[in-house]
Amino acid sequence: MAYYWYENDPELYKAEVLAMRKFFPSFQIGQLQDGSGRLYWRGKVQPLGEGGMVWDLMLIYKNNHPHAGQDEYGGSIQILPISPRLKDIAQKMMPLLEQTYGSYDACVKRGFGLGLPHIYRSNFGRNEEYFICTADPKYFKSGQSRSTSAASSLSWACKWIMLCEMWLNGEISDDVALEGNY
Amino acid sequence: MENNNDVVAARRRALAEALRQGDPVVVSPSGEVATREEMQDEGLTAIQVPDGKLA
Repeated sequence: MAYYWYENDPELYKAEVLAMRKFFPSFQIGQLQDGSGRLYWRGKVQPLGEGGMVWDLMLIYKNNHPHAGQDEYGGSIQILPISPRLKDIAQKMMPLLEQTYGSYDACVKRGFGLGLPHIYRSNFGRNEEYFICTADPKYFKSGQSRSTSAASSLSWACKWIMLCEMWLNGEISDDVALEGNY
Repeated sequence: MENNNDVVAARRRALAEALRQGDPVVVSPSGEVATREEMQDEGLTAIQVPDGKLA
């Protein structure tokens, strides 16, 4: 049995490519040059359209795709914004949040421990990076007949970006950014 | 006559309201998020964001 999901399951690989070609044709597939063998998609999106920011994103498959553990936020596909870099935005927001909530501990308790809603950190290459935490693991599909694809993960990410930009602009409250039923 | 800034602002208000209400949204090939009705009116291909809470 091969180590890489795309060798084990060529039909799933084809389905992933077809879905991305259909829904996000400007994204290009590649392989990380770090020896991990992991595949990724890279491209740009502008979730708020005119007046919104352009985001350069990488969607990186874990080698266990489409399987995701209970604690794997975002499932087996990691979404890393290359530009803007989440870590930079988060570090700018943290002092403002500390001012609002009174202390770093209070920010953590509220769900803003990293400076933005719904993100997580992980090592990527030599750096620690902040990733978009797209969907609660319980919504990530990884069964025999259905699995969450890069296309559906990217759609979740676009929704997250919309939420993030609106929150940064004060168009939605902290409550909606953190707790809304979206 | 409504200028373009008003149109953009109205659209953003509608999207913010969709977030508050938990209404379904779709995403176009350029990554633009829109309500389902908006995208149908424009006749574009779009993927519906799966149900589920952001984590």
